[in-house]
Amino acid sequence: MKITQEEIQLTRECLDMAKAAGADKARVTLNKSLMDLFATLNGGIDKVSHCLDRSLTLNLFVDGRYATFSTNRLTSDSLRAFVEKAVDTTRMLAEDRLRDLPDPERTEKGATTGEELGLYDPMYEGVTAEKRRQIALEAAGFGKGDDKITLISEEGEYSDSIYDSLVMDSQGLCCRHTETSFEYGVEVTIQDAEGNRYSGYWWDAATKLADLDANSCFGKALARAKGQIGAKPSENGKFRMVVDTECASKLLTPVLNALGGFALQQQNSFLVDSLGKRVFSEGMTVLDKARTVGETGTRLFDSEGVATVDGPIIENGVVKEYFINTYMSRKMGLAPTIEDATRPAVSKWVSPELGTSEGRTDAAKLMQMLGEGIYITGFNGGNSNSSTGDFSFGIEGYTFKDGKIASPVHEMLMTGNFINLWNNLLAAGDDCRLCLSKLTPSLAFKDVDFSA
Amino acid sequence: MINSKQYYLDTFGVTEDQLQRLAAEGLRGGGDFSDLFFENSSFTDLLLRDGEVTSGGFHVDYGVGIRVLKGEKTGYAYAETTDDASMLSAARAAAAIADGSASSTASVAKLIRDAKDRAASYVPAENNGGRPVRKFFLGAPNPAADRYPILEDWRTAKTAELSAYLMKIQEAVSKRDSRIVKIIAVLSTQTTDCLMYNSFGELKYDTRPLASLALSVIFQQDGKTENKSVSRSYRMGAEMLTDELVTEIADLAVAGIDQRFEAKRPKGGQMPVVMASGASGILLHEAMGHAFEADFNRKGQSIFSEKMGQRICAEGINIVDDATIRGGRGSLNFDDEGVPGQRTYMVEDGVLTSYLHDRISAKFYGVTPTGNGRRESFRYNPIPRMRSTYMEGGNADPEGIIASVKKGLYVDQFANGQVKIGEGDFTFYVKSGYLIENGRLTQPVKDVNVIGNGPEALAGIVAVGNDPKVDEGAWTCGKEQSAPVSCGIPTVLVKNLTVGGE
Repeated sequence: MKITQEEIQLTRECLDMAKAAGADKARVTLNKSLMDLFATLNGGIDKVSHCLDRSLTLNLFVDGRYATFSTNRLTSDSLRAFVEKAVDTTRMLAEDRLRDLPDPERTEKGATTGEELGLYDPMYEGVTAEKRRQIALEAAGFGKGDDKITLISEEGEYSDSIYDSLVMDSQGLCCRHTETSFEYGVEVTIQDAEGNRYSGYWWDAATKLADLDANSCFGKALARAKGQIGAKPSENGKFRMVVDTECASKLLTPVLNALGGFALQQQNSFLVDSLGKRVFSEGMTVLDKARTVGETGTRLFDSEGVATVDGPIIENGVVKEYFINTYMSRKMGLAPTIEDATRPAVSKWVSPELGTSEGRTDAAKLMQMLGEGIYITGFNGGNSNSSTGDFSFGIEGYTFKDGKIASPVHEMLMTGNFINLWNNLLAAGDDCRLCLSKLTPSLAFKDVDFSA
Repeated sequence: MINSKQYYLDTFGVTEDQLQRLAAEGLRGGGDFSDLFFENSSFTDLLLRDGEVTSGGFHVDYGVGIRVLKGEKTGYAYAETTDDASMLSAARAAAAIADGSASSTASVAKLIRDAKDRAASYVPAENNGGRPVRKFFLGAPNPAADRYPILEDWRTAKTAELSAYLMKIQEAVSKRDSRIVKIIAVLSTQTTDCLMYNSFGELKYDTRPLASLALSVIFQQDGKTENKSVSRSYRMGAEMLTDELVTEIADLAVAGIDQRFEAKRPKGGQMPVVMASGASGILLHEAMGHAFEADFNRKGQSIFSEKMGQRICAEGINIVDDATIRGGRGSLNFDDEGVPGQRTYMVEDGVLTSYLHDRISAKFYGVTPTGNGRRESFRYNPIPRMRSTYMEGGNADPEGIIASVKKGLYVDQFANGQVKIGEGDFTFYVKSGYLIENGRLTQPVKDVNVIGNGPEALAGIVAVGNDPKVDEGAWTCGKEQSAPVSCGIPTVLVKNLTVGGE
């Protein structure tokens, strides 16, 4: 269910309509997706759904003014009325001459079929409803007994989708991105002998069906739930900490957000005036691997059509890139870059305090190297202050001693500041799950405040 | 607002005969119940930044969702056009949930007749106060009480006038504090025409307004930067944009900023927490409300699954989920299954008396649905969701509650919360508050997460103030789908929660 030639033509017509209605410049984005889902409850099919979406987004530049519109009513007549009203509405806004389309020199030229990144699986078209049902049912684990616990419920969900996006502008831009996705996730709730409930979740995703590992999800979710039996708060204090790759992006995302032009321009970022400065530990290096063929989350262009670039965002603790789109570039007087990190990847590093780490470095290895501390496997709520970088998160996981997991913890909080935290980095592993769009491996830090 | 039936039929280009045929088509594979949810939503947004309203636009979302139930199982599909072929295709996709036991050649009339027969059968009465309940709930006809009449429709509001209103807010905020360096003001509106039809032949229709005004203000003082975000949100038309609202939101935007610059992280650990009236209702939403949603209980996942009829907190505590507040962000004339919006007591005098039900869970438990079947849009099937969740007032003086605490925390502004349903562990993020020392508010605190366990926190409420208040901020619940909600609480004292800190 890719974008059809008729829909491509409609997108072009929309640009023409905008020009005819009085727009100086315009960009049109057509998104189309189809998702099929089979959900199970306790081993039986509980829900099926079939979701086809199309939406068209129109960015208009009219008389020095700018506005954004969208619709899913895509008949020619509906679209014409929509565009005419959109142009009139844009004229009602205040003038902002800093708005413009990106320099054509910076836009992507090589995304013509949408399949250049190898994220489209031709097998997708052959997946039948029966196959989907089969995957969902085979992955379900309800009834696969464990005498010591009661499995109260198991909710599984298999889905596959195709996403096709086309961006055109009045300067001749024409970019397309097509990808398929296959996902399976399962959540289990168990009860121990005392009647306490614990839940565990696991999922897998891939752009190719052959790469999806649905059948191991139940076992991993169950293990995560069972691992929490007997959890209790640990002690208050400053501890060393290992954060599992499964949830480590929670500590990276606010840093990347603080490098966004919008936050910087509004002074609502704890990384204002940090470009080119060493702000974090010298061991912190984050590369944007935006254009790696075949990997989840990669894109050849951003929403303006600007070509993505592989390169450093933070290198040895030095901020190397702000995310500056065309508008923010003109507003802030900075060279434009890209709107956002595409596929950020934290590089492997081990502090001299810990020695060296040969071979694969995962959470278990990091615990061995640290000896004692808190191992975080998930976060439960929390937030951060975008202006100051202060954060406070609920956590779940384990204490570890002598390099091994000791006991589960719950009702605990970690509190700190992102700049301080990343300056206390002890190690970054190399165990990233490739199905995640942010490649954040298991991480180790020192001197982290925990409350319980 | 409720318009004429013909208005809605015309909006979606359908006839009642056509609706009946589509509902019947959904049942052709053997489903028990089918329903259609038509939606035509118009969104507008305007953004003031750097002193001017230089960004905005409008957005259109149109379509129909078709659901088929077979027992507790759900088949769901939708179409973004309402031509007969697209809707028929969606109905057949949704019908795939059933096992195919019904005759594929049955007439529309027979399929509908059989559905109504099923609806007329009764289920056991033990869960409904001794009253037998129909297997499938038959709702009330339009019109219900209108909880959100629209005086000025957002769809015809003048962009220039809305922009001028944002400029007025900016001016009012700027005047209040010289430390302000940036102001962002956003006006977001949504007006949704919806039409619902089900296999019992029930036809419901409604027009739902929803608007939010949000401010984000950046302050700088002595090289330090602080931010403050506030919002107000109502199911109202453009008549909500009053001078009084300008004053209210501008006052809110600068309130407590001195304290925020002075604020420090407290020493973390377990302590008594006094929750100020209003937005502290997030405690109820996260710690209890989700656990009372009947889907979690039906599946045995909630920590409250086996607590119906039991005492779960102190006598005198009443907790309500309410769709009837006039103009309230969580209010509904009908839920998204056509069930009348209502006021539901979840806890009465400390005893758990009701979960929050959609049609599926109501049938499962043998009770009448409570009007909590909600969906983000026609793209989603309805599930049990909260509306406006609050605790009724008690008899304690709020200042007396603070005075009763020797050492603890007072919290009054929040950002977000979360809960783990099975374990009952919840958290909420405190943007600002104070330490309580010897019964007095002392050092301001900010940016700490608070964590606790739902049943323990509920049982640990040892004082309830006489100042009940529902917060009017733009709260959005994110359980699988987004849903506008509100929350409220009087000043309460929870005897022990874990507070993040240094």
